[in-house]
Amino acid sequence: MVLVLTGAAPTVSAKPPLHQQIDSLIAAGNPQFEQQAAPLADDATFLRRVTLDLTGTIPTADEVRTFVADSAPDKRSQLIDQLLASPEHARRLQYLFDTMLMERRPSKYVKSAEWEEYLRQAFLENRPWDELVHEMLTVDGTDKATRPAARFLLDRELKSEVVTRDLGRIFLGRDLECAQCHDHPNVNDYLQRHYHGLNAFLSRSYLFKDPKTKLASIGEKAEGQVSFTSVFTNEEGKTAPRILDLPEIPDPADMKDAYKVKPAKNVRSVPVYSRRLQLAEALTGSENQAFQKNIVNRVWAIMLGQGLVEPLDMWHSDNPPTHPQIVKLLTEELQSHDYNLRYLFRELALTKTYQRQSHVSPEAKLPEKNLYGMGLLKPLTPEQLAWSMMQATGVSTATLEGLQAKQRKVDEKKKTKLADDPLWQEETLHTALQGNVTAFVRTFGIVGAQTSRFDASADQALFLLNGTTIQAWLSPSGNRLTARLKKLKQPAEIAEELYLSVFSRFPTETEIKQVSKFLKSNPKYSDQDLQQLVWAALSSDEFRFNH
Amino acid sequence: MKRNQGCHSLDHQIARRQFMAGAAGGAVCLGLSDLSAHAETVKGQHKRILQVYLQGGVSQLESWDPKPGTEFGGPFRAIPTSVPGMHISELLPHTAQRMHLLSIVRSINIKTNDHSQGRLFMEKGRRAGEYPYVGSIASRYLAPVNSDLPGYIHISTRGLSDATSAFLGAQHAQLKFEGVKPPQNLGLPKNLNETANNRRLQLRQQFNQQFRQGRRKSQTETFDASFQQASKLMARKSFFEKAPADKDLERYGKHDFGRNCLLARTLLENNATCVKVTHHGYDSHAENFNFHLEQLGEFDKTFSMLLDDLHERGMLESTLVMVYSEFGRTPKINVRYGRDHWGTAWSIALGGCGIQPGAVIGKTNDKGTAVADREVDAGHLFHTYLQALGIDSTRDHDIRGRSIPIGDPTTQPIKELLA
Repeated sequence: MVLVLTGAAPTVSAKPPLHQQIDSLIAAGNPQFEQQAAPLADDATFLRRVTLDLTGTIPTADEVRTFVADSAPDKRSQLIDQLLASPEHARRLQYLFDTMLMERRPSKYVKSAEWEEYLRQAFLENRPWDELVHEMLTVDGTDKATRPAARFLLDRELKSEVVTRDLGRIFLGRDLECAQCHDHPNVNDYLQRHYHGLNAFLSRSYLFKDPKTKLASIGEKAEGQVSFTSVFTNEEGKTAPRILDLPEIPDPADMKDAYKVKPAKNVRSVPVYSRRLQLAEALTGSENQAFQKNIVNRVWAIMLGQGLVEPLDMWHSDNPPTHPQIVKLLTEELQSHDYNLRYLFRELALTKTYQRQSHVSPEAKLPEKNLYGMGLLKPLTPEQLAWSMMQATGVSTATLEGLQAKQRKVDEKKKTKLADDPLWQEETLHTALQGNVTAFVRTFGIVGAQTSRFDASADQALFLLNGTTIQAWLSPSGNRLTARLKKLKQPAEIAEELYLSVFSRFPTETEIKQVSKFLKSNPKYSDQDLQQLVWAALSSDEFRFNH
Repeated sequence: MKRNQGCHSLDHQIARRQFMAGAAGGAVCLGLSDLSAHAETVKGQHKRILQVYLQGGVSQLESWDPKPGTEFGGPFRAIPTSVPGMHISELLPHTAQRMHLLSIVRSINIKTNDHSQGRLFMEKGRRAGEYPYVGSIASRYLAPVNSDLPGYIHISTRGLSDATSAFLGAQHAQLKFEGVKPPQNLGLPKNLNETANNRRLQLRQQFNQQFRQGRRKSQTETFDASFQQASKLMARKSFFEKAPADKDLERYGKHDFGRNCLLARTLLENNATCVKVTHHGYDSHAENFNFHLEQLGEFDKTFSMLLDDLHERGMLESTLVMVYSEFGRTPKINVRYGRDHWGTAWSIALGGCGIQPGAVIGKTNDKGTAVADREVDAGHLFHTYLQALGIDSTRDHDIRGRSIPIGDPTTQPIKELLA
């Protein structure tokens, strides 16, 4: 995007790059900010953090060694670009946006595999966010090619209270649920007409089940108005479709030939004028700032661990953004970059704000309130946890090597080079290990509303403590971590390999001593001791959180 | 713009602060006391719930609201109970003798005949939306800080997986036991003994100590709490392994429900906060009468024994007992001698903590087809459960800057049922 301008004389004043502007705004008004803030994280910590955030897993021990040893001054930005271009980045966004959009709902009418693949392709191509949302809200599910995009609506069965609430929460950052029956009791900004204005876009659409194919798709009628009554005040209201306080969108005056396909038994009716199609226009249109701010806030929350507005779906005047200027800046930038999310991820990763270490020195006091003076702990998502554990224990690498060896034989015959293709590798490995990821999602996934809170339950701990999946990964076979540790003789070497593989960093002197003390507490350490060592590291806070 | 007058948002805020302050105070007391030394006192004070969920929808006509000799009354008689003037179905002879401990609500209309919607409404007190179940609320507000067990345990022999805790968080979600089988992964991996387990846990703590320096602790403490809960459960593995005494089995019955209720008793005795036992199989679209004869036969004896035991142990005053379904069954008997789904006029039974015993709330008309007096829905019941437990359901959950009314602000508790 930016490259297009190279060579052309800059027409606008040369502003500093976005990431620098963000850092300035974070520090604005506090001349002491830089002295008070935590320093930038070291290379290893940065590598782990950004690899997790952009690709959903931790780096390998070798990647840590290479990155730490690299002396290029721009190695962090090089790394960011490399990660953003990787197939793993598209997978990470597939997981994130699937969770955000579908909230781990079971698939009902659209197969989740097809939906996930749709999302992944979109992120591989880095499709603009507004275009993607536009598509999800306009397709009706009848065209096989675009059907997966209809999952947002179809798998909510077009139930008006579900879809309306989720449109408000997920795309506008406003949980209008309470405003269904009355103006929100505690939030002055959430009015009943906001809820019903959104509802009016969809009130004429319905789930149509084709009696022959049994396939569900979206039908729509040409009439039907939305009116509402407050359960508290009995005030009545009427509204045409509208996004929050933007103007109402009236139906066209002449509705004589209202239907392309008239309603009849077992027929999917299609109106000439579709309110639902207006929704996508109105929601993603440039007038609607709520849509822009919402996605900016959500991407910020993914990278920085909390939203500029938190909770993410509680935008209102009593809960303003911590940094309104940043919201404004990011919103404008996202628009001028055509909703290019990759650009946003890149710039955020480049900020000092993102790169600060997540702890203060032992003698320093923790800042009263966290306003980005230090990094936040971010609990790993179920998917990140699964992939990171498989990476740490060596399961991913061993599995991929096996798959590659098989493919190389095929490649040789067919004169292809698939085994070396990163996209093929990611897809093949993903298919092979998907079952494990599902097991983690089942145990650690939170159904329903997305939240930035961290929660942990007994059955999750039992899964980590005693579950067969993780126990199996600890057995010292092939080139797995425990097998590699077994070959090493010196506790210091063992500590180094362990720390690089699990914590993505070199151990300190104290930590080497601790490892060696643990191993020496048994006269001759066994496989069991090594497994316990790796288990304890995998179950620790340092592994559970991106820090 | 005229704002609504119904929610009294300012009241909410003030009341909430008092409520939270009260809750925190209580928690600190429990946290500081030595639980083992004060076990007896804590047992007395700690409020609990026993939920017996008759899944599928028990027939009110064959249980709490019989109409013998009427068009839809079915073949069973009504029998007198230990409460003068109160009659229930002859299918519940043991329970009938204990009705002075319980009360009946006969006038429920939830306006849905859908299993899932009815279940969610009965559990959340809301028709829609992501709200916590009664059990999760109990876990959040009633479970002692150092509780030996997770706050909300559900013993069931079939899979109904619900998101129960909503914004209260995973630590208050129901932990599901498949019957008396232990939760998954309760046993140590086979090559690990107790000593090795302690060793690895110590090592885990060693890793953590280093990491925690210079960092905020709230998230890592939550993570730790899950391991502590897991360890407590592992330590109580014997709950599941120890065969119940013959005498108990004889009394409770040697079937799944009997065993599950015995486990529920053990859990409640050990300070669990909410224990839910599901008795499956009331969805009697065909052969309703034979089904209820069988099902309620199993329920009646077992439930009565459990009620006796709670009563005798002095636990009933602090334990809310709920016997409920997702809806009732149609008065009209279908061609297969079945009754279908009926949310329009049905009953539940309540007792114990905070509940006026021996009462009958509301009534249905002569044929049992509609509520004739004191209509309530699951929203009213929800307020009633919580207020019986001393939780002010008109106040708000305070979740990270978001105030959410605990009970639906448009409904109220059934005041005359509260002791």
